Amino acid sequence: MPREVDPSLNEKQFVTQALEENLRLDGREFDQYRPLELTFGEQYGVADVTLGKTRILAKATAEVTVPYADRPLDGIFTIATELSPMTSPSFEVNRPTETEVLLSRLLEKTVRRSGALDTESLCLVAGQKCWSVRVDVHALSHDGNLTDAACLAVVAALRHFRKPDTSMDAGVLTVYTPAEREPVPLSWLHSPFCVTWSFFGEEGETAVLDATWLEEQVRVGSCTVSLNRHGEICQIAKLGGTPVNAVVLLQCTGVALAKVKEFDELVDRRLTEDLKRRDKGGFMAELRAENDR
Amino acid sequence: MTTTAAAPEAALGVLPRADGSANYSHAGYTVTGSVNGPIEAQRRDEHAYEAHVDVVIRPAAGVGGTRERHLESILQSSLTQLILVKNFPRCLVQIVLQVEDSPENDYVNTKLVQASLNFAIMPALMQTAVLALLSAGVPMRATATATAIAVMRQEEGAPTLVVDPSTRAIETAQSAHVLAFTSHGGLLLAESEGDFTVKEWDSVYDTAREICCRSAPTKEGMEMVLDEEATRGPDMRQFLQSTMEAKVAKDLHWK
Repeated sequence: MPREVDPSLNEKQFVTQALEENLRLDGREFDQYRPLELTFGEQYGVADVTLGKTRILAKATAEVTVPYADRPLDGIFTIATELSPMTSPSFEVNRPTETEVLLSRLLEKTVRRSGALDTESLCLVAGQKCWSVRVDVHALSHDGNLTDAACLAVVAALRHFRKPDTSMDAGVLTVYTPAEREPVPLSWLHSPFCVTWSFFGEEGETAVLDATWLEEQVRVGSCTVSLNRHGEICQIAKLGGTPVNAVVLLQCTGVALAKVKEFDELVDRRLTEDLKRRDKGGFMAELRAENDR
Repeated sequence: MTTTAAAPEAALGVLPRADGSANYSHAGYTVTGSVNGPIEAQRRDEHAYEAHVDVVIRPAAGVGGTRERHLESILQSSLTQLILVKNFPRCLVQIVLQVEDSPENDYVNTKLVQASLNFAIMPALMQTAVLALLSAGVPMRATATATAIAVMRQEEGAPTLVVDPSTRAIETAQSAHVLAFTSHGGLLLAESEGDFTVKEWDSVYDTAREICCRSAPTKEGMEMVLDEEATRGPDMRQFLQSTMEAKVAKDLHWK
């Protein structure tokens, strides 16, 4: 596979020098995100996030399986991040790159380990049957800051998702198809989001939000903070060798909280809009109830 | 003959970083495709006299399995026929097809961790690949159009043909067929599933040919065109042509 082209020395110098003069190539402020757009698909659990030229598609699905033997009371929740050659020709199928490993680790820590999804609610029959919820993250185009966009897409997809309704009657488990009963939402506890800072300069003194691909290639380090809108931090990952001043890092987390509140608002707003859009159809379905029951 | 789906929709150049890309949706299927090429091939894929065409199909949910590999190999061999591979020795043309949406059957709960792509998705994959190749400007011998047809056998009388069948129609159908034609009218691909007779296949062939390679419509009046649309089903070649025309007109807007 062709290697990703590194920016030339001139390009690198141009970017860093501009940042030293408090300028970014696309004219944004240091703590400003690119235009962020979130749309939901026709089916439940499909979220499409566009952040500038970065585009992520996340799809959540569920099926009934057997729980792990060591955790009989828990359902299964997995996040699959596989970057295809569509993202960039330098990615190869079935051969994870560093970007991919880092991305899946960060998503795992942010969404799964922070207990955003209540896995106990996915258990149907202890030790025998449980739901397995899976989110597939597809990076359609990569122009920097995959982490933040992917995290937003995963959270939005899971909050939009509906799993088939079930009932237990005298020890008999029934899973209803969408035609029989309206699917039900997941038991969602809190919405964590990632905010990634990129550091530039000899001592990492310039901190920049939402770096583009070119900026990502030039940066000396990065720090991903995951937190929810209540300011509860799920994880902090500081990558890159250059040490960063503790005060800068503290300021970063402060700004991150403000950004996370914006994300949360955006997801909430889009979810209510989508619900309204679907409800129109739901009303129509009520009118001709004899068909669907 | 009955049609179930609305007219196809397509957008070209949807991904900023790929050489060429297209988004295509028809009959409930939405596929995004990207093409990079000609690029440097890996040693194991390198061919001394022609370019290697690499097709990757990625299901919307779950891991790709044998079915995807099978579809990939079918598409790969038919697209190799179209692309002028001899022009780019030792190169690679990489086609990635990402399924975004496929129609769901409300009456069954599907297994999803192991993705199993439906047979009927082939036309959508084929069209997306051709559109993305056109968008990337990869030299081709001809373009191609494809369609899926299901044969529903009645208790009595002649079997009916369903163009672009739904998932439910495919389940109940006697046989399902996917046919692709080049823009010169040659048969490029014929895949069938189920029981059928030679007579049935012939009628499927005629219908598919009618959909895929109809000659340019005669514009004799609005009613005529509307009437045709209603009775003769979608016109894939016309669709491909008008999509490309719209894209070229948009790109050359500044002139």
